[in-house]
Amino acid sequence: MNGKPMTRRDLMRTLSTVAVTSLPAAVFATGRGQSAKRPASAPLLQVALVPCPDYDSGRLVEAIRAGWQSTRPPDIRGKRVVIKPNIADFSKERPIHTDARLVEALILHLRKLGAREIILAEGPPHNRDTEWLFRKSGFEALAGRQGVALIDLNYDDIRPVKCVNPRATLLKELHLPKTVLAADVIISVPKMKTHRLAGITLSMKNMFGILPGIKYGWPKNTLHYNGIPLSICEINGTLKTHYSIIDGVVGMEGYGPLLGTPRRAGVLVMGDNALAVDATAARVMGIDPGRVDYLAMAHKIKLGSLRREDIAVAGEKIDKVRADFVLDPEYSFLRAPKG
Amino acid sequence: MRPSLSLAIDFLRAHQNPDGGWGYEPGRMSLVEPSAVSLLAIHSSGDMTGSSRGLDFLRSCQKSSGAVGLGPKDADGSWMAYAALLAFHALGAADEERRLKDWVLGFTDASGHFTPDDIKAISAVYRYDASIRGWPWTSNTTGWVEPTALFVIALVRVGTPPTQNRVRSGVSLILDRKVPSGGWNFGNPFSKSHELEATVMSTALALTALGAAGVPESRPAIGEGIRYLNRSLAGEVSTASLAWALLALRSYPAGASQVPGVAARLAGLQAGDGSFRRNLFETALAALVLGDAGALLRPPRRSG
Repeated sequence: MNGKPMTRRDLMRTLSTVAVTSLPAAVFATGRGQSAKRPASAPLLQVALVPCPDYDSGRLVEAIRAGWQSTRPPDIRGKRVVIKPNIADFSKERPIHTDARLVEALILHLRKLGAREIILAEGPPHNRDTEWLFRKSGFEALAGRQGVALIDLNYDDIRPVKCVNPRATLLKELHLPKTVLAADVIISVPKMKTHRLAGITLSMKNMFGILPGIKYGWPKNTLHYNGIPLSICEINGTLKTHYSIIDGVVGMEGYGPLLGTPRRAGVLVMGDNALAVDATAARVMGIDPGRVDYLAMAHKIKLGSLRREDIAVAGEKIDKVRADFVLDPEYSFLRAPKG
Repeated sequence: MRPSLSLAIDFLRAHQNPDGGWGYEPGRMSLVEPSAVSLLAIHSSGDMTGSSRGLDFLRSCQKSSGAVGLGPKDADGSWMAYAALLAFHALGAADEERRLKDWVLGFTDASGHFTPDDIKAISAVYRYDASIRGWPWTSNTTGWVEPTALFVIALVRVGTPPTQNRVRSGVSLILDRKVPSGGWNFGNPFSKSHELEATVMSTALALTALGAAGVPESRPAIGEGIRYLNRSLAGEVSTASLAWALLALRSYPAGASQVPGVAARLAGLQAGDGSFRRNLFETALAALVLGDAGALLRPPRRSG
């Protein structure tokens, strides 16, 4: 090193044990359908911001139905749907994982829409004991109650898929679980949380969890070495998330995604474009999405848009539900000005 | 062999894939870890039916460098090599064992690439010494507790002296990553001011490795780890964690009193079809640690 003090970016790079690769402009020209062309007359990206004060099952079902109807959801009838919650770990005191009651309400909703098969799938990041995590987080019981499969993606069969731009990344190809590759529809259902290495973790970051630990390790260290923003964009550019529902009923602020404190935002953030959904959720958290490395990168490479003017928000107004999540001091620069 | 363990072996045999290997679950693609551990379990039963096909599968996964990855098509070596090393040794595949052992001893983590500033920054946040070399899950990434423990267990089991440099360094890494209040997690004892919680699986693997390498029970980390296990075993524990915990408790005299209870609890998880959760790896592991063949994985007991 040159003796100069480490910058925040240097520090984050080291702490995520990253060798950040420079990113050529517009490497993900299309993001494989993530930013499908719309007619000039078509409206903007649509996101629903649905108030939901608690995890009452009736209220959750109604909130999902309302958000679904006011966005552009995928066609579910006759489809094999994989739901990807975030079960990064379990704590009795801290809301680390997506609430299982939200996912249960989503299952009921998808059944009404005629889904042929529903699968819950997650590959937790650093705790290899998925049996324990699924049990403690309530997902094992949920799967049993609803008669749906619960798949540990860390140990799933895998198949290599070429990255969108192998020259831009150390990964060259992604080894993806067959469960995910066989899905007709993928729905990302993360928790609204701050993240000590990425700033925030929402729908796009949630997709780290589809990569199998048997190939990428626990934690998925190869992705850290590749650079967290680049890996997030690589995964989301290679594999389309068809719909996102962010659990912001109770999120996590401070030193997330594991060690923060509960923060009630009382909303679900829903939509078909993961970047637009994440940008909207960031605004709810009092964060400027343009200051979040991976969201800015995703915008630049056209995985969607994070600009306010490109996103039509149905339901509640952002400013009305804005709940400034406490930020770790390292990330205080993410804070969006009021108004 | 107890009838219940014979049933487990029958389950493994019934689900051997046509390519000779085993997946984590019936009908799934053959991978090195479930294949090697199934082979160990079948070998331990004394009936070698299917073993030669299984060994051929593992041989097909070995590269010219000696490396073993996840499966035959994997271009890189990986953490699953620990299990292949144990299987090559147990089944007398001496040449494959020697070549793989040499590769494992050269399978490095990223510790050599960290600058002094990196090491200082990591120490400030996570409170461990990133210069200590262990084993990663995948090549040239960070060394973590579990792969380091698995490779220490395998290397010692195949006759590598605990004084060998890599083994000694692996032991140092494990001891350095201990959670202050007892036990181990994946490998970050702290994150800033927050102590991270230990987990049963990481703690069990760490203790088993330390026991294999002859780290005496008098070391505070050992007693604290065993006490953590004892506390945790009172609650919800998964099948795989219970199996590894049984191995860990057998590794130290201080754990001995818990062994019968944990063994009975693990045995109680066996399903009517002989499997444990219909997971072939867990079935093979449970059969090994519950049976006499536990010696294949279990290190020699040392007094301390």
